[in-house]
Amino acid sequence: MHRRKSIKNIALLAGGLIALPSWAKAWSLESLPLVSAPLNPAAQNTLALIIETIIPESDIKGAKSLGVPAFINLMLADCYDKKTVDNVEKGLAAVESLATTKYQQNFTNLATPQKEELLLSLEKGSDTNLKDFYSLIKNLTIQGYTTSEYVQTTFLKYEMAPGHYHGCVPVKS
Amino acid sequence: MANLNINAKKKNTYDAIVIGSGISGGWAAKELCENGLKTLVLERGREVKHIEDYPTATKHPWEFEHRGQVPLAVREAYGRSFLREETLHWAIKADEQPFVQEKPFTWTRGYHVGGKSLLWARQTQRWSDFDFEGPARDGYAIDWPIRYADIAPWYSHVEKFAGISGNKDGLPHLPDGEFLPPIELNCVEQHLQGVLAKNYTDRQLIQGRCAHITSPQPIHLQQGRGKCQHRNLCNRGCPFGGYFSANASTLPWAAKTGKMTLRPDSVVHSIIYDEKKGKASGVRIVDAHSKEMIEYYAKVIFVNAGAVNSNMILLNSISERFPTGLGNDNGLLGKYFTCHNYRGKANAQVEGFLDKTTSGKNPSNGYIPRFRNVLKQDTDFYGVLHRDWSWPWHEHQPGWHRGRPEAAIDPSPTRQLECERLDARRVCAH
Ligand SMILES: Cc1cc2nc3c(=O)[nH]c(=O)nc-3n(C[C@H](O)[C@H](O)[C@H](O)COP(=O)(O)OP(=O)(O)OC[C@H]3O[C@@H](n4cnc5c(N)ncnc54)[C@H](O)[C@@H]3O)c2cc1C
Repeated sequence: MHRRKSIKNIALLAGGLIALPSWAKAWSLESLPLVSAPLNPAAQNTLALIIETIIPESDIKGAKSLGVPAFINLMLADCYDKKTVDNVEKGLAAVESLATTKYQQNFTNLATPQKEELLLSLEKGSDTNLKDFYSLIKNLTIQGYTTSEYVQTTFLKYEMAPGHYHGCVPVKS
Repeated sequence: MANLNINAKKKNTYDAIVIGSGISGGWAAKELCENGLKTLVLERGREVKHIEDYPTATKHPWEFEHRGQVPLAVREAYGRSFLREETLHWAIKADEQPFVQEKPFTWTRGYHVGGKSLLWARQTQRWSDFDFEGPARDGYAIDWPIRYADIAPWYSHVEKFAGISGNKDGLPHLPDGEFLPPIELNCVEQHLQGVLAKNYTDRQLIQGRCAHITSPQPIHLQQGRGKCQHRNLCNRGCPFGGYFSANASTLPWAAKTGKMTLRPDSVVHSIIYDEKKGKASGVRIVDAHSKEMIEYYAKVIFVNAGAVNSNMILLNSISERFPTGLGNDNGLLGKYFTCHNYRGKANAQVEGFLDKTTSGKNPSNGYIPRFRNVLKQDTDFYGVLHRDWSWPWHEHQPGWHRGRPEAAIDPSPTRQLECERLDARRVCAH
């Protein structure tokens, strides 16, 4: 029950990312940047682990089994400028080095609570580059996860054509 | 030879020519054809048939490779414009029609049959006498040659056919129309409506009137259009005909009369001016594929190419009588046009309402009609900088409180982070 609710709530944020209508957003587009090369295999591995930690497998499917890592790699390769992707690369390297300094282990070998602690420290820390990195990966994870067919149809009551609009109804758990 | 020419001319002669097949061109075609005039509709862009030519209309979110975002390599071709994967097929590449920009200008063009009727936001508020009389009353610009009473019956005529949903709000500065049942406001909007009513006499929050069929009438069913399905995927083209577009409504209606000839891929170059008669007598087009220049003739020529392109066509229409463009004796053609101001923005977070949500999607939005310079000029600017405020975006799903039980059982970073951000609803306005 709670899990279902959680997913519904994650969708909120994903919704916020894409909900501004075209004409309202058009003004803030940045000028066009350079496209970058895909991440190297080691970086991809760290990225996949982060994604898995953000939305783990449980009694329901997690981000990994829904192919979110591949989605994020595609997004980084196609849709983000070089500066942003460079910062992701640096962020991934920083995650590995933080794992070594804090826990004397590779990020891969950390227990889940340690992985979570490390990731939350990025969000709470003062390094804005790391914050940007983590928030981008987190948002893309949520986006990839919540727009998957599985989450849409199983938890988000996805309907292609609702046929009605009710403006104020009670939340059902 | 002379006979051949006469025949060719006859073949290319219509009772009326409509330039452009967008919102106004579609209406012109409908009205002219219904009144029995043989009408040629010239459209610079490609054909877009209702339903058939909406390639993404029924695609699911997960069917878009980049979930809607357009890859940078693809973007590059389009210059400064808003782009989405779902609607990329309506966008114009920069090199298709380069233009000078001294200041950034996002020029949204709809170069296809239906024009911007496939791209618009479908908000349909009437003007009132406060709008028509503003310039004369406050002493700026030029007095409108008409008043609300002149146009009110036409509003009704159009609204009944198009299908406009809304409340009868009884506001003198935002006249009511021929409305289909309204779309509900959400909880937060209702709250704001109440708060405004309590604190102000001159400010109201209403549901924006919009061109969506909430309850199809016979006239809509005759067009083959049905009820809005609350999908909010309007700009992909609506297979239900739930909102008004030329493609779903006026153009097929005009075609059904048998009086309309629609010629897509026909870029109107200029209007032919008959010096002897002192009248426009036809138009020149360039066929977009063959690049051939062809002339068409008619007594009625209706220029409906959109603000910028209508001006361009007139500027291009040079004759002895009009050496700087048709109707350009004052030299003002192509100068001083304005664009809807999307830059003024406000937003707020509203506490509470965590036990409430919405169901289905709202194709309209809450709307605050103008409240400055209405009864008199009460500011140091003329007219209305912002006619009104509407907010297209709300997070109206339940937030997630830190400390609520479901947060506690889920320690993963995302979920904790959500808790911090989502304990209030956000409302944005522009
Ligand atoms: C994102 C967006 C949101 C909007 N929201 C709203 C809203 O909520 N409410 C509202 O009232 N209005 C809205 N508008 C404005 C509305 O769409 C336009 O005012 C309306 O479409 C104008 O109608 P039109 O017939 O003049 O031009 P268009 O609908 O643009 O049609 C012009 C047609 O002429 C064709 N054409 C151009 N040049 C030539 C040529 N040389 N030869 C042949 N054909 C040519 C074009 O290809 C096009 O098909 C919005 C516009 C945009 C872009």
